[in-house]
Amino acid sequence: MISFAKVDLALWGQDLNRDLGRVGCLGLRKLTNQEKGAFMRKTVWIVMLCVSLVLGFSAGAFAAKTLEIGALYPISGSLALLGEESWRGAEIARMQRNKAGGVAGMEVIFVQGDANTPATSRSEAERLIEQKGVKGILGTYSSSRCMVASEVAGRKGIPYFELGAIANDITTRGYKTMWRINPTAAHFSVAQVEFIIDWLAPKLGKKPSDIKVSVAHEDSDYGSSVAASFSELAKKKGLQVVSVEPYAANSSDLSSVIFRLRKAEPDIVVAVSYAQDAILLSRQAIELKLNVPFIGTGGGHSLQSFADALGKNAEGVLNVDFTQYEVNTAFTPGLTNFLGLYKETFKANPRSGHSLANYMGANVVFDILQKTGGSLDPKAVQKAAMAMDVKVGSTATGWGVKFDENGQNIRVTPQVTQWRDGKLVTVFPKGAAVMEPILIK
Amino acid sequence: MKPKHLRTFGAAIFILLLLVPVFFKSTFVLHIYTLIFFYIALTAAWNIPAFGGQLSLGHASFFGIGAYTAAILYVKYGVSPWFGLLIAVGVSLLGGVILSLPLIRLRGPFFTLASIAFTEVLRMVAIDWRSMTNGSVGINIPFKPGFKNMTFTSGEPFYYLFLATAVIVVLLTYRIRNSALGFHLRAAASDDEAARALGVNTSLAQFLALMWSAGLTGVLGVFYVFYNYVMEPNTAFSLDLFSLQPALNGIIGGMGTVWGPVIGAVLMTPLGEFLRFYLSTIQQGLHYVVYGLVLILTVKFIPGGILSILEPLISRKKKDRDKPKEKEERS
Amino acid sequence: MDLYIQVLVSGLLLGGVYALISIGLNLIFGVVRIINFAHGEMVMLSMYLTFWLHHLYGMDPYLAAIVVLPVMFLFGVAFQRVVVQPILTTSATMKIFTTVGVSLLLQNLVLIFWKGDFRTVQTSYSMSAFEVFEIIVSIPRFVAFVAALLSIIILYAFLKFTFAGKALRAIVEDNAVARLMGVNVERHYLLAFGLGCAFSGLGGVLLMPFNAVYPTVGVTYTLLAFVVVVLGGLGSMSGTFLAGLFIGVVEAFGGTFVSPALKEAIYFGIFILVLLVRPQGLFGMGRGTEEVGLK
Repeated sequence: MISFAKVDLALWGQDLNRDLGRVGCLGLRKLTNQEKGAFMRKTVWIVMLCVSLVLGFSAGAFAAKTLEIGALYPISGSLALLGEESWRGAEIARMQRNKAGGVAGMEVIFVQGDANTPATSRSEAERLIEQKGVKGILGTYSSSRCMVASEVAGRKGIPYFELGAIANDITTRGYKTMWRINPTAAHFSVAQVEFIIDWLAPKLGKKPSDIKVSVAHEDSDYGSSVAASFSELAKKKGLQVVSVEPYAANSSDLSSVIFRLRKAEPDIVVAVSYAQDAILLSRQAIELKLNVPFIGTGGGHSLQSFADALGKNAEGVLNVDFTQYEVNTAFTPGLTNFLGLYKETFKANPRSGHSLANYMGANVVFDILQKTGGSLDPKAVQKAAMAMDVKVGSTATGWGVKFDENGQNIRVTPQVTQWRDGKLVTVFPKGAAVMEPILIK
Repeated sequence: MKPKHLRTFGAAIFILLLLVPVFFKSTFVLHIYTLIFFYIALTAAWNIPAFGGQLSLGHASFFGIGAYTAAILYVKYGVSPWFGLLIAVGVSLLGGVILSLPLIRLRGPFFTLASIAFTEVLRMVAIDWRSMTNGSVGINIPFKPGFKNMTFTSGEPFYYLFLATAVIVVLLTYRIRNSALGFHLRAAASDDEAARALGVNTSLAQFLALMWSAGLTGVLGVFYVFYNYVMEPNTAFSLDLFSLQPALNGIIGGMGTVWGPVIGAVLMTPLGEFLRFYLSTIQQGLHYVVYGLVLILTVKFIPGGILSILEPLISRKKKDRDKPKEKEERS
Repeated sequence: MDLYIQVLVSGLLLGGVYALISIGLNLIFGVVRIINFAHGEMVMLSMYLTFWLHHLYGMDPYLAAIVVLPVMFLFGVAFQRVVVQPILTTSATMKIFTTVGVSLLLQNLVLIFWKGDFRTVQTSYSMSAFEVFEIIVSIPRFVAFVAALLSIIILYAFLKFTFAGKALRAIVEDNAVARLMGVNVERHYLLAFGLGCAFSGLGGVLLMPFNAVYPTVGVTYTLLAFVVVVLGGLGSMSGTFLAGLFIGVVEAFGGTFVSPALKEAIYFGIFILVLLVRPQGLFGMGRGTEEVGLK
């Protein structure tokens, strides 16, 4: 080892002596012809090698005889759990539809993509469209993945159906080929603010303008966008937003958030969390005696693992989210059927309402395509989508369907649910509710 | 082959690469090629400090700084990205200056750790500084096609842009490696103290290397954000994508050599993509398992990188001609 | 005033947990000099082991340590023998990538077999706390703190008074000389890795009552453990403990009085500064400075 180094060094030493006088301002010097020749040779060999390797990646796209739709979800990486849960919902809708004869007589096939990071989401969208030849994509669960993938699709004029991501910006970029069936962050804020004003304020015996709200949110795109919409709307409606506390979702300790909340003395905490931080936040709130009701915003607060982790302490935790399973089924026709299919297919209970939302959304996509005769031509889809008019309370999630000019479904309302006896029960709005909400501090 | 023929041949291959977009209409194929060129350039830039034996896992910081600077200037202040590029390089260099403080004082794993910590700090600042960076939601590059806006309706311009960048960066690393700076760096890599004893200012050499590297990485950050439409902190400052991946390419190809990064990037970029295409839909996470295994096995069986196997095959024929130069190439 | 004391106490408790996770890394990093990017995954694996023992056999998480520690010790020995030993002569970089590979492998094997669900254990003491002068002390965290303290005392005694311990310290101080003095370095590497994993295992066991486990839970702990170990000084067990407490307190105060989102940024910033000013670590005795290299 050492002796090699010395020999090398001696060699370089010579070069160094020769070169020391020739250091340019950036450390470059002129090359000798011999060096250039050696370099060229190596260049050619290596480039040849690289080209032959790369030429292997050029299989052509094949023509679709069936109706192929890209299904893009994060199914590995940090969002694997709920990404896959979302895909399950769409998959059930697809199987059900195929059993009933398919869309316009064609069998629906999902070409799956794995958008495990925003960067790969771009690759996957390109691959689905160009390589697999899909003419439409649905997905995506995560807002950041959707932003990139739908940008790819939008610029190519490929219809993109979002069934789960909630960031407001997704439908405000002016793409005429982008539709979102699920509620947005703004819808979530409306539901939350309404619930606080209509139910919580009278319950606490206070005027809405006396209600103090704190927001604790995880600081990825999901938490940030919901928190921003909520704070804005809450202020507009006269609630006092006394503090906003962002934190990283993978934190192993959230005591500092709790201390800040204790200092702010709110009447209610609006939490926007993923899975593990929702558990941690509630556990540490109990430990550190923060006696304030929590209202979650989907994500972690609606997972069964949240209730499992907190045991009886989960009782009474409120949550605004996509439609859940303990709901007035008269308001959500098709829900029981979906649950049965889910259990039959995946041999387990759904982990959250994400699968249901994607099931409903995928069905809407199929209905649109039924009207276009299975065509994914942007103009035809646009016409069929705009003609969609489904009343609230007639789908498996209870949502209706009517798109605004941005492609956003406006007949959607997130529902307020509450953990009661280990079950997430719908308590608001009245039509969907199966129980009256209770206030537990 | 004689050098003259070789040159013709090299030119032919280059022209072939220029023609790829003509043959392959699919933007997916273009996208993969573009990614490969992007990673060649990124890895080659990462490789410059590696000539001097310094392994940075903080290159995502320069990348992110460059990307954010240009994106913010464009979206918020309407500055054309081509002009923003200059400013972005300036700011990336500033980041390089900051990271060079630990570089000059620390060695080996400690510098590596410091460079990771540096990136993490920047990532969290980018998340928290909402007024400037739009927080985690990220900055979306609006679709206004035009050369001035570095936004195009097709994939070809970016294909050529990244191809040109890759060629320039690789040539540049070659020039750097075979200049006084390169010799100083290699001397520092092999025995820092002895090199100093010979009168080489190794700290200055490593500082210069880091600056080159930081500036080039910043440029790539700018191109990438306009290529990828959206920039958010967890991508821009991603340890996996822009710190580990170039290092990995460099190592698999052959660290501290000119061609190692090229081979590494050409092999690993499609490998990662294709593993995900074919395996992740079969079983959640399977492609990462395979990728992890590839990593472990490569390090175990070809620790010198692929170039160390190829080298003897390639250069056997002209061994007698320019012997001393060959030695340098290989080291 | 109360708030400051409360934050301090929370920070110290948190620091205890951090110290516990980092002791194992100090042994591994100090002795074998490998940047083990799979360190967090060792914690993750032991958390899963604890979870399954609790879930399937109803074992109390703390009792599970009896099983988890030996298993993790063997895991560490096997890891060193199969993965690390063959690449010992390669550069630091190569070692990093091997461990990155292992970390990816473990995370995703867990994802494949046990899915991405967030799993917790419910015990009677999971969310319990006691109060001293109105300062709240979480019981499971307090247990972890005490365990960290005890582990460090035990490890200190082991390193100080046993032959194997002395050999390990010799390796930390100067690998080559230790070898010359007749220490079987490779065998002590096995020991160091086994012990390091066992202590990470203890960390995992003690985290389980209050933290959820999921495939990527380890990612946060890996970098954190490096920060603690480097700040504390290589080979210094008391240094690791104090550095753990320091980071915990910095995080608690930074999080409470600056912003919870920036708490990590604050301690990473301090980490870089300390590296610049005092690379041997805040409490390091100058061991390993050869490697740190004040140029």
